[in-house]
Amino acid sequence: MAPLAIRRATKSFGGFEVLHGIDIDIEDGEFVVLVGPSGCGKSTLLRLIAGLEDITTGEILIDDKEVSRLHPKDRDIAMVFQSYALYPHMSVAENMGFSLRMRDVKPPERDRKVQAAAEILGLTPLLDRYPRQLSGGQRQRVAMGRAIVRDPKVFLFDEPLSNLDAKLRVQMRAEIRVLHKKLKTTIVYVTHDQIEAMTMADKIVVLRDGHVEQIGSPLELYDTPANAFVGGFIGSPAMNMLNGRIGEGGRSFVTDNGAELPLAAPPRIEPGRATIMGLRPEDIEIDEAGFPAQVQLIEPTGADIHVNLEVSGDVLTAVFHERLGLSEGQSVRLSIPVDKVHFFDPDSGDRIVG
Amino acid sequence: MTVADSPKRRQRETYLIFIALCIFTFINLMPLIWAVLTSLKDPRDAFTIPPTIIFEPTLEYHRQVWFENDFFRYLKNSLIVSAGTVFISVPFGCLAAYALSRIPRRSAGPILSALFTIRMFPHMLLAIPFFVMGTFLNLIDSYVLLILALVAINQPFTIWLMHGFFLEIPRDLDEAAAIDGCTSWQAFRIVILPLARPGMTVAALFSLLLSYNEFLFALVLTGTDTKTLPVAIASFGGEDISAWSLSAAGAIGIMLPIVIVMLVLQRHLVRGLTAGAVKG
Amino acid sequence: MVRWQRGLWLFFVPSFGLLAVVLLWPLGYAIYLSFFDYYLGSNVRSFIGLGNYVDLLTEQRLWRSMWTTIVIAFGSVGLEFVVGFALALALYRLNSSARVFSVLLFLPHIVTPVVAALFLKWMLAANWGFVDATLLTFGITPPDWLGDPFWAKISVILADAWIFTPLIMMVLYAGLQGLDESLIEAAQIDGASNWRILRHVIIPALIPAIIFTISVRLMDVFRFFDIIYVLTGGGPGTATETITIYTYQLGFRMLQVGKASALGVITLVIVAALLLTINRLLNSIYRGGDR
Repeated sequence: MAPLAIRRATKSFGGFEVLHGIDIDIEDGEFVVLVGPSGCGKSTLLRLIAGLEDITTGEILIDDKEVSRLHPKDRDIAMVFQSYALYPHMSVAENMGFSLRMRDVKPPERDRKVQAAAEILGLTPLLDRYPRQLSGGQRQRVAMGRAIVRDPKVFLFDEPLSNLDAKLRVQMRAEIRVLHKKLKTTIVYVTHDQIEAMTMADKIVVLRDGHVEQIGSPLELYDTPANAFVGGFIGSPAMNMLNGRIGEGGRSFVTDNGAELPLAAPPRIEPGRATIMGLRPEDIEIDEAGFPAQVQLIEPTGADIHVNLEVSGDVLTAVFHERLGLSEGQSVRLSIPVDKVHFFDPDSGDRIVG
Repeated sequence: MTVADSPKRRQRETYLIFIALCIFTFINLMPLIWAVLTSLKDPRDAFTIPPTIIFEPTLEYHRQVWFENDFFRYLKNSLIVSAGTVFISVPFGCLAAYALSRIPRRSAGPILSALFTIRMFPHMLLAIPFFVMGTFLNLIDSYVLLILALVAINQPFTIWLMHGFFLEIPRDLDEAAAIDGCTSWQAFRIVILPLARPGMTVAALFSLLLSYNEFLFALVLTGTDTKTLPVAIASFGGEDISAWSLSAAGAIGIMLPIVIVMLVLQRHLVRGLTAGAVKG
Repeated sequence: MVRWQRGLWLFFVPSFGLLAVVLLWPLGYAIYLSFFDYYLGSNVRSFIGLGNYVDLLTEQRLWRSMWTTIVIAFGSVGLEFVVGFALALALYRLNSSARVFSVLLFLPHIVTPVVAALFLKWMLAANWGFVDATLLTFGITPPDWLGDPFWAKISVILADAWIFTPLIMMVLYAGLQGLDESLIEAAQIDGASNWRILRHVIIPALIPAIIFTISVRLMDVFRFFDIIYVLTGGGPGTATETITIYTYQLGFRMLQVGKASALGVITLVIVAALLLTINRLLNSIYRGGDR
């Protein structure tokens, strides 16, 4: 258990910089998720923390101690790999006890710790099996067992759930969360799946192209995305983005395609300024007094209904919880609560705070 | 060609291929069969026109070649030299091959090419300095010199072969081992090496085969004390036709252990042969 | 190299140290010797610069042995490749019984080469050899397989082919088994003839394996020693004297180790040049696009 800090970290591969000055502070016991599209550098960042890659410039502090020149074994971390990386020729117990064995922990104590970890993860009946005799979910658990058995300062997870089927993934998500509550160890968790990030994290770090786009709690990211990228990346279905400008007097938003969407209260943005309006699908309401739209496509998911609505050339996705009895081709009227609208600068993508 | 008649045609083709292959195989094995027959023949059956197929077989010459012609001593020499080569070449080769499989590709590539180039050295070019140095150091007719020479020609191949096996072991395991507290040496010895055992079997097998069969270095670097089986059989005969049965018996005796070992370890064989064939 | 893996360089030390001592040093020594007139019997040596090279390149015997090597090399590798490929295709086609055949066909390759050469010698020996004895039975007078300059070359080529065709067969067969069968099936459904499938689907896919086997075999043939040594000893006369046999004669029979070293160096240069050319050629033919 320890705080972790990354300071101005850059990483280049053969002159090509893939991480550009990353600064992240992680508190003791925090569950931090690094999320971003593939190629954003999140796995590289995790490997820098683990010491599997050398940092180019900058520093990494674990427990306030600079570690970026240390061998992975001397950083007191544990890692769960995407492939699990279980040792095929060792039993589950041997796999879990291996790090203790390498640190000269005496066999009786080793057994005790392995037993305890196996207990927590429900692996006790499997201790004598070999990795090839286990199912995917069981292997995943063993990989976690191997990590927790040593009680390291930081846990690193590299997309640990991506090889599991959807149902198991949801289950393991909850289990890891519960495990973290129990162990209270600092966790850095890499995933490309924003739902995993939202459901598990205390703090999310959104990365894109080797830059940090935003750091914050899941709801902060959801409610006040720092830019259009974060807005579009977090949340499912994705946020609707409309290009246009603020209409006269700030009473409406005029899309580039000419539709005029009335705003209940004027945003604090000068009229006529070009902006991107971001609109969460669940914030769109049916309102007889609103602007006109046409139902293009209806996708019932059971709990919700996803509806694609055409507003003079732009398509908005909306999510309704009620069964509205809409049919494709039908005309409806919509409105947007003003406090749920996000405005971004079309050039920089940054959030425009009114 | 219509689709309907093709299965029948294929069937007939397959049948013809089968027959042709049977005939070819038989003709191809004729020298071997002939040698086996010769080794079981009395000289009066060996020199006949037409060749005798039916005769009273005798194991007399097999007995003679081993018990009256020192072949046991040559076998001992062959085994010492082969074992020496394997025990030096395979461990050293494994170490280098492992490192080669783990360093960045751009560094490994040139080393691999260099090793491949070394493999094509004309052996004769190596035999001369070995012979000259051996003469000066008074090491001709010693096991050491021959073993070193065989290691020299064997090592690049062993590295190349083992490199392929180590590449198949995921790097994640090295990384997991490093995080679990292993140094590079510990990761290699405790985690990677046990997983490379099938590869080591193949490498050992091929080193063994190479040193057991090797002729040139054995010919110029050994003498009466350390003569290996191939040198012995080559000097033994073929010239004097009255010794045919005897030398055939010797030849069969040399061949037999390899054939047995190779039949048992057949599945490993292809792996060694095709090493490097797919990705150059 | 990543910091935590730097220790890996030490893993190279034993092997490369050994190679330096038993391979590079002798090689350097051989090159050094090639500049001396050195008769091992009398132990006198005098520096003559490129004298050995000049001697060798201006004498008939070298060029004759070179020509013999080329004839034998291309003859045997060509034969091995054609037969080996045909056998590999046959095995691929048979599938079920291929295993038994592949083991039997492979036998000649695993037999000690010296022993294999002896087997062939007993086949080809005058009068009492199996071939002659059989032919004479039917009243056909056979040629002198090992004693006639022309037939001796043929015999050597056949011997090499007998021993090494199985190797080529195995490598190509392994390559064929790695082929994506759906490609072949798709071509069959498109109505392509067997020949076209071979030409346009199978051969292009096997190019790496083909380049590999041909290069390895060619370099082997250039150091091809034991089989000729046992079968003909380079004779009759110098009819089957390859560069390797000539080097052996120079170095170990006449003890002219300086001159023999020079010949070894020349061989090395030729082999290297040859392999580079072959690789380039085959690469450019098949990377140059589909015709």
